[in-house]
Amino acid sequence: MTTAIDDDEEFRKEVRGWLSENVPRGPLPPIFTVEGIDAHRAWERALNDAGYAAMHWPAEYGGGGASLLTQAVFQEEYQLASAPERLNRLGLGLIGPTLIEFGTEQQKQRLLPRILDCDELWCQGFSEPEAGSDLAAIRARARREGDELVIDGQKIWTSLSIFADWMFALVRTGELGEGHRGLTFVLIPMSSPGIEVRPIRQLHGDPGFAEVFLTDVRVPVANVVGEIGDGWTVAMATLGYERGTGLGDHVRFTRKVWDLVQLAHRTDQADDTLVRDQVAARYVDSQVFKHFMKNVISRLENGEQLGHEASLVKLFWSEMDARIFETALNILGPDAELDPTPHLDASARFHRNYWHARASKIFAGTSEIQRNIISERLLGLPKERRWT
Amino acid sequence: MMLDADQKELARGAREFLKEACPPEVVRAAWEGDALEPLRHALVEMGFYALVIPPEYGGLGLGGLEATLLLEECGQSALPLPLLESLVAAAGIARHGTAEQKDRWLAPIAAGEARATIQVDGWGAVVGAEQADVLVVATHGDELHVVPAAGFHAAPVPVFDRSRHVSRVTFTLGDDTRMDEGPEPARDLRNHAAALSAAVLLGISDALLDRTVQYVGTRQQFGRPVGSFQAIKHRLADAHLLLRTLRPAVWAAAQITDAADPDATLTASVAKARASEAAALTNEHALQSHGGIGFTWENDLHYWLKRGKALEQSYGSARWHRARIADELFSRSNAKEFAAS
Repeated sequence: MTTAIDDDEEFRKEVRGWLSENVPRGPLPPIFTVEGIDAHRAWERALNDAGYAAMHWPAEYGGGGASLLTQAVFQEEYQLASAPERLNRLGLGLIGPTLIEFGTEQQKQRLLPRILDCDELWCQGFSEPEAGSDLAAIRARARREGDELVIDGQKIWTSLSIFADWMFALVRTGELGEGHRGLTFVLIPMSSPGIEVRPIRQLHGDPGFAEVFLTDVRVPVANVVGEIGDGWTVAMATLGYERGTGLGDHVRFTRKVWDLVQLAHRTDQADDTLVRDQVAARYVDSQVFKHFMKNVISRLENGEQLGHEASLVKLFWSEMDARIFETALNILGPDAELDPTPHLDASARFHRNYWHARASKIFAGTSEIQRNIISERLLGLPKERRWT
Repeated sequence: MMLDADQKELARGAREFLKEACPPEVVRAAWEGDALEPLRHALVEMGFYALVIPPEYGGLGLGGLEATLLLEECGQSALPLPLLESLVAAAGIARHGTAEQKDRWLAPIAAGEARATIQVDGWGAVVGAEQADVLVVATHGDELHVVPAAGFHAAPVPVFDRSRHVSRVTFTLGDDTRMDEGPEPARDLRNHAAALSAAVLLGISDALLDRTVQYVGTRQQFGRPVGSFQAIKHRLADAHLLLRTLRPAVWAAAQITDAADPDATLTASVAKARASEAAALTNEHALQSHGGIGFTWENDLHYWLKRGKALEQSYGSARWHRARIADELFSRSNAKEFAAS
């Protein structure tokens, strides 16, 4: 059997060894509970002590300084080992790289180490009730008073904000009619007076989502990332890191297809032609994704930029993930609604993950927004006329 | 995995050559029955038929990856010649032929003196058989044979792509036609035909998408280009997604040379299954986005529509390849073995 990425075999062995000794036996408590936060934080610290917390960050900021190939190897092994979900995903994956690219030296020194050792958790304050897909419609206002910004507004879908120490947010420093001009990217301590967090229960029953209300919240101007009024540039880079993730993720999807094979066996449907056809179709998806991501990594290593191709990656994996789960439901048939799901390990939390896969097509830019980007930016089709 | 400078140059060179030598007027002429000898001669001169034949037989000694690059361009230009079949046949003889078979066929194929084609689908339809000098056959029983013209009979059958000359073929197989023993050679030929036909389908589909993007960017209705409507954009974005992500899978499949590799069949079938799926979707969206003008004989679009439709089902349809993938997957028992693949 060939693995996806054959380089860095020494590193692969090392990581595999470390993970096999250190990955907690059995699943950790869910992240949205206090015990869950503690357990995941302990795991993150173990990763950091071993030097694995942020393979993608430069070494000078405490990261692994790893090439993309090495990052992919790490991610493959991480998923093969069924290691815990990463707790500070937004810190490590989004704001960390953003600060490294756009932050002041002071911001980097102050914030990056505490992301690495998971001392401080982050949440994202982009979406608002009236600014979802149309992110440039942001209404949260920030007016400048001396060396401070005073912020009023409402953010929504802010995962983990109940537990977060910081929020990175887009706020409007210019006029409302200015669209993406006049936005500013700012870092807000969640302990600031004037912040109220109201939990929102998600469709699959998990808490974790919240609305965040900001009333006269004062933050120093030194907390602005990039220039005042140039927040859109920074935010687009941040979203680029988000959509671009996926290195080594093919392992996760291939495993899910294997679960479908097992499920078909356990439900005595391994000889059902239609089941076999659907499972094979999901396998095709997962392997095309694997080959494509290998190619993406090679090109990035060669100095190319992913750019708007990131939308291809996001659209691909989110739609694939949902199809895999739909196939599982089709195999389960009338048993599909039972919870916990028969024939499957209860700890796999099948229904929760099924519905979560549906969310993947909505968060980080809906599939429709990705198709707009692909058609306008990659195919060069004309923009749709705006409704005025 | 990515292309080196030579490979990029090969693709670029082939594209420019075919743009000159095989514009839509040439395809149209082929539909009207024009002789294709001058075009074929030009391809021979370019070394296209010699591409995968080893140097000791006068070939260029290049591999499957280079073949996909060339064939993608052939799909782009809707080349009305069975180069795909010749390349698969030549690679098959080079890999699995006896010394005598190689000596007899490879140099003449490279020089354009012998025409080669393949029969892998079972029901007997073969492209380019009427004029072929040699036929490589993968049988149902997984035997691989190379049959000279005297050993087969080709009866032309009408098909919807008039530049794809298909015959129903009957042949006699014997010990003298047999190539390497064992089931692997026949499987390898099927895999290679799947991988290389996926490359042609990719080129055909890219051409369909390019033409469609161009058309919807200029065609105005309701006072705006129809390509500004999301109903059109999202169709074409979906086609683009399938096509842009397909190429690395085709490359991976075309580079497999070890028929004993347990992943060879999976990798090849993944490529052709997805190529057929992507081609079907692009075909649908291309014609639909063109509207009425696409449904005319005069518009060139149908050369690609029809070639694509034929190739979707040839060398294993998406359904056939998925069944083959399922046979592999459902016979594996070990999660590790599976997840690593």
